[in-house]
Amino acid sequence: MKTDYAKKTYVGSVIMFKSILNKIKRPLQNIKRPLGWIQFNLIFLIVFNVTTVQASENASSPFEDDESCLTCHKYPRMMRVTDEGTIRSYYIMPDVYANTVHRNVPCRDCHTNIQQLPHEPVEKGVSCDTQCHSIKNPATGKPFSHKVIVDAYSQSVHGREKVETGIESDKPYCITCHNNPIYDPIEQAPPEHIVSRCVLCHEDGNFVQQWYKHTSRRIREVKNTSAQIVQLCSACHGDEKLVTKHIEHAKKEGRELGEKFAVAVESYNDSFHGKLTNYGFGETANCLDCHAEQENYYKSVHEIKPSRDPESPVHKDNRVETCQQCHSLADENFASLDPHPTTKTETGVGVFRSLAEKIYNMMSVTVIFGLLGLAIFETIGRRRDGVSFVLRKSTSWRRKSKRGRDRV
Amino acid sequence: MKLSAEAKSVLQSSLAKNKIDENEQKEIEDLIDGLPDDRVLIYKNVESDPLGDIYRYSIHIRLQHMLTFVTFLTLAFTGLPIHFFNASWAEPFNSILGGVDVTRVIHRTIAVVMVSSMLYHILTLVAGTISRILSGTFDIRRTIIPLWKDAKDFKDDLLYFAGKRLQRPEMDKFMYKQKLHYFAASFGNTVMVISGSSFLFPELWASILPASISSEFQELMRLSHPHEALLALLVVAFWHWYNVHLAPGRFPMQWTFLTGKITREHQIEEHFLEYIRNLVELPDERKKLKEMMESRGLFNQSANADQGS
Repeated sequence: MKTDYAKKTYVGSVIMFKSILNKIKRPLQNIKRPLGWIQFNLIFLIVFNVTTVQASENASSPFEDDESCLTCHKYPRMMRVTDEGTIRSYYIMPDVYANTVHRNVPCRDCHTNIQQLPHEPVEKGVSCDTQCHSIKNPATGKPFSHKVIVDAYSQSVHGREKVETGIESDKPYCITCHNNPIYDPIEQAPPEHIVSRCVLCHEDGNFVQQWYKHTSRRIREVKNTSAQIVQLCSACHGDEKLVTKHIEHAKKEGRELGEKFAVAVESYNDSFHGKLTNYGFGETANCLDCHAEQENYYKSVHEIKPSRDPESPVHKDNRVETCQQCHSLADENFASLDPHPTTKTETGVGVFRSLAEKIYNMMSVTVIFGLLGLAIFETIGRRRDGVSFVLRKSTSWRRKSKRGRDRV
Repeated sequence: MKLSAEAKSVLQSSLAKNKIDENEQKEIEDLIDGLPDDRVLIYKNVESDPLGDIYRYSIHIRLQHMLTFVTFLTLAFTGLPIHFFNASWAEPFNSILGGVDVTRVIHRTIAVVMVSSMLYHILTLVAGTISRILSGTFDIRRTIIPLWKDAKDFKDDLLYFAGKRLQRPEMDKFMYKQKLHYFAASFGNTVMVISGSSFLFPELWASILPASISSEFQELMRLSHPHEALLALLVVAFWHWYNVHLAPGRFPMQWTFLTGKITREHQIEEHFLEYIRNLVELPDERKKLKEMMESRGLFNQSANADQGS
């Protein structure tokens, strides 16, 4: 175990070291010096960069730049300032890209509108439903594509286009949730005890590593913990500003939002499901357990529907069945219990709850202060007649009282 | 001392129930006659053992108190961090016992113990009452059942604390504070058991109740459980612990919950009617009281004063 960890750390630090080196190199390019100095710098840079790329290729990756994109994109200063004034970097770190999930996809499979080199300015971003020309789906032999899931997603309540303006752009696009981390220590150095076993038959260590990355990434990421799912949904649904904005927008359009839309995260956190999830207890309902179908789960989480949609698992007609997934004895009455308890709605059980809470608070305050007052009053009253705090020497009435009648 | 009508009736019924013969009856009446009229002088001048002098609580009641004591605090300790999960203290309190995976099991297990101790208590009450009725010693004034007298006692006691009365009211075995606390606790316990069971068996409660109110019921229970818990904890911390630890004469601790005995001065001050019964039932107590009063020249004071003049 220890050596595994050391390896991961080592590989991680190598990557960090390289990126730091690149950062150090950048300022050199900015210095205005005589031509010779710049030439020297360029030569140094090219030589150094090429050796870096070669070194990393040797170390781990099968990344091949057949389309020669790296001719330009390998330079760290490959960037421009947009009209909005932000810097956009077009720098590709080959050794990092070689470890991402898309490492086998040639650049132009996604960046389809690039036809020649040097290419025209790119107007359109990539879309996740683009068909890959180079990668075939090994099961069907057809070009690989995320189209199935993108189509399902566009039908969902979250559905949107890649490029949206205005209110729609608040909705999540694929990369909002699938942020595709570019550095994962586990993938950098697959566990020796697994790799060493595969190599026995598959011989090629590099092949095995690629396969390990391919499969383990999918296994690790398909089912997140309850806490992670709640955190993911809360990123938008728990953002008060965003939620209010959408409620107001819906009002303007005359659309109806779910009763709990405004308090979804807050009320979930207040429920038993939420409290247990919050403490890291996994065997309780998270957002997706109720709001997505459990049959065909991975497709269903992409096509979440509002509760008014008859296909939604939380639609009135489907609730009993949804509850029964965990609460096997659930019936109609049970399904009418509020899974998002709150006092902040203006209709339904929320009103009752808020009234009851007020009465409870009043009662508690009265009781506590009443009893505390009685205790103080009692102490004063009895002290007046000469009682001491400690029962000592067989009595606690040792003090002299102004009213007389003292202990003889 | 001259007994009030109330105290006289307690004395008479106690004499009858204990089948006291005439000689003994005379002795008791003489003793009471010889006591100072001012009750304050009696409880100020007796000798008391901090560990208690007069037997009050049976081993069953003491066991039930211990069970309630332990289960209540454990339940609060494991339950409150779950409700107030947002508070800064919640996470560490929860982790001390191994996180929610563990505390939820502890909470439910201890809840079962608490319910059992409730049943044990009810059994004790029923069996004790039946045996007293059969032996003819049952007296409703000696029980925890609230009577109109308690309201009057409360008013008179407040007047005494305010300095408008010279004497505290003559209270029975259980004074108004104890009755209030007992019924608050039993009400609270019932609420906790019902609401707790509605969390543990939500399907059951939903199927029992009509659809129109099952949702409101669950909401009310979700609200009641933590509210009642917090209220009970505050009442215990601020009031019960004040009464048994901090109140003058009780500091640092009243030992009754362990020894089952109450101190003599406390019994006379706050449970005078019960003390009269003690005098009837415990010949030893009569002897001790007489000696204490005589040694301080307080016995037969008026007679002594007459002789002196």
